[in-house]
Amino acid sequence: MIDVLRLALIMATPLCLAAMGGYTSERGGITNIGLEGLMLMSACVTALCSAHFGALGGVACGVLSSTLLSILHWLSTQKYRIDHVISGMAINAIAAGGTNFLYGKFSDPNNSGKLVVMPTNYFVVAAIIVPFLLWVNSKYGRFGIRLMAAGSDPDKARLMGTEPITIRFWGLTATGIFCGLAGSMLVSEVQAFTDNMTAGRGYIALAALILGGWRPIPTFVACLGFGFLSALRVQLDGTQIFGANIPAVWASLPYIVTIVALAGFFGRNRTPAGIGKL
Amino acid sequence: MTFAVELLGISKHFGAVAALDNVSLSVEKGTIHALVGENGAGKTTLMRVLYGALQPDSGEVKLDDQPHTFKNSKDAIQHGIGMVSQHYGIIPALTCLQNLILGAEGGPIVKVSEAKKRADELAKRMGFEFDWDSDAETLSPAGAQKLEILKLLWRNAKVMILDEPTAMLSPSDSEALFASLRKLVDEGATVILVTHRLPEVMDHCKTVTVLRGGKLISSHPVSEVTDRSLAELIVGGSLVEPPVIEPVRDLGIALDISKIVVKDDRRHDVLKGLDLQVKRGEVVGIAGVDGSGQRELFQALLGVRKIDSGSVSIDDQEVTNWSSAKRLQFGLRLIAEDRHEEGVIEDWSLEDNAILGLQRLEPIQKSLFISTPDRHKWAEVVAEKFSTKHGGLNQPMRTLSGGNQQRFVAARALEMSPKLILAFQPARGLDLNGTADVYAAIREKCKAGASALVVSFDLDELLIHCDRIVAMNRGELRQPKPEEARDRQAIGRLMVGAQ
Repeated sequence: MIDVLRLALIMATPLCLAAMGGYTSERGGITNIGLEGLMLMSACVTALCSAHFGALGGVACGVLSSTLLSILHWLSTQKYRIDHVISGMAINAIAAGGTNFLYGKFSDPNNSGKLVVMPTNYFVVAAIIVPFLLWVNSKYGRFGIRLMAAGSDPDKARLMGTEPITIRFWGLTATGIFCGLAGSMLVSEVQAFTDNMTAGRGYIALAALILGGWRPIPTFVACLGFGFLSALRVQLDGTQIFGANIPAVWASLPYIVTIVALAGFFGRNRTPAGIGKL
Repeated sequence: MTFAVELLGISKHFGAVAALDNVSLSVEKGTIHALVGENGAGKTTLMRVLYGALQPDSGEVKLDDQPHTFKNSKDAIQHGIGMVSQHYGIIPALTCLQNLILGAEGGPIVKVSEAKKRADELAKRMGFEFDWDSDAETLSPAGAQKLEILKLLWRNAKVMILDEPTAMLSPSDSEALFASLRKLVDEGATVILVTHRLPEVMDHCKTVTVLRGGKLISSHPVSEVTDRSLAELIVGGSLVEPPVIEPVRDLGIALDISKIVVKDDRRHDVLKGLDLQVKRGEVVGIAGVDGSGQRELFQALLGVRKIDSGSVSIDDQEVTNWSSAKRLQFGLRLIAEDRHEEGVIEDWSLEDNAILGLQRLEPIQKSLFISTPDRHKWAEVVAEKFSTKHGGLNQPMRTLSGGNQQRFVAARALEMSPKLILAFQPARGLDLNGTADVYAAIREKCKAGASALVVSFDLDELLIHCDRIVAMNRGELRQPKPEEARDRQAIGRLMVGAQ
């Protein structure tokens, strides 16, 4: 059982970091389905750079890469007014193709050994601290209040003398940093980069964010829940329950839960009112 | 005489349309200055220029004799200008305190207890009371208005712009608001009041400036004008005479609501066995304070809120379980309460908006398809009906001012062979002649065989324009006694539930 819990925490960590990235983006009014791409980019760059600059250098480069990609999302949605979903899909496409290309081009084929990586515990600690920081920020931080205002009603926020576009820039910068950490965590876990290694975690993070009603602490709890489900699946893989294998449908549980949540079975809809508005 | 604000020769164009043409305004320090005019006269545009939300094409802004150029609202706020806009700047997702301090938090970390202390002091000064941690969405319109005033004080605003502040308030809340404003003015603040309600100008303001069609008409001390002369300055001609109410000939019952029970959003019974009959050709007004169940009644009649028991018949046809689409096809027409949320889709063109809700009706729909030429013709009819000012039918709805949107929405409901007209505040945001025009059109349709049910929070409006008035209080309708059928006081008492 302890093993399952430890595994659950490890599984929840990248989800939680990415979900917090989703929080700073969507709470400020920018739909972000590009979390997956940001994580993937960071994972690739972390793996490539760790070989040259060491573990910390690798993480730094990874975070930088996903932050730049995140700022690209800001640029396209806020400056060039491209639809948020389309821009997010573009980010995912860039990351999927880009990482495949980069890794093929720059990874050292002679070095088949494991990478030097940051210990996963650092990321686990970050995944626990960040939600609390964001919660405190939403209560006591100027940035938190303004982010919420920008995401709820950008026009009114502007009339109160704030600049939603600037606030969203910092929101998306934070998105890049958190998703970058999430990507690095994946590399630390297996000490290698593989193609498309995020495997839909960005979307599950988004699902957790929706389930948590775009609030940091409930989102964190949702991530723990999803982490636990994944850990259970790993532990039970191959064993038989009631004479049957764990069905493949188990993997789609987070999505089913999200659809149920979105349909309003768990209380009121808390979608930021100004999401997608300029 | 010292002027707190001087706007000199302000011009502003939107595309080819001149919203403001060389308009000047001087506001004396420590007074309430009224700015009046029809919809689209440029009142709000002028105020947005002063507030830094719009940049004028030419002209000068002076505060205390010093010229200033405001790049944005932040700039204007820093120079002591505050504005309460028509739709309020309260963000429902934030708490009252967060709304109060938004944009002026006083540092990256908010010192919540200090902020609350100052907030309480400001509230006490105005005689208000707030639970600062509660969500702003729980505020009543009057509460939101009070919070807006405190927001101005929080920012140390010396010049306060209020755009139609009483549009959503009950008469007693309006009185309280003006008492607050007078207090602020006595303390040295300057208030610019944008309004449609002339009694407010006569009772509370020192000077009045009239705009018409983006041009300055004149400024007068309020003591030198009368209600009547001011109204004529605003419309630039004589006023439409109020209608003469004639008794309705008995042509049978058009709408028969029998003992309907309807639940509100919190699943409480809001209408508990409501009865109402409307005769054919009759305009019936429902008077009542906001939230008495008018909204739910209209939703039930329209078929978007479930009727738990009881029945609704239109022209002897029971429609209780009909879908909204079928009711619309049968001849039900709606002028929605909240035109932004329910009446129009702001990003769609005028032409698309013209057929909203009517898209299944002849001649708009031909077999399976919408007929584009007919839609265009129809949109022209709708726009012309109350002379909506617009820059082309292919323009998005949001390019229209609020009053012009209302004209458009009213015309859409009235023009296509209505049988029963449901009008929720049909004159919301309209000026005097616009209001008269809309009610006249409703009456004209009723003379031709339709009937109308009108909800308004303005009892005087109903007294002028309706054949019969019933009062609504807590989901119940009360008929005034026959001898008091048009007695303002008697109906007012029924509205608040007194006998």
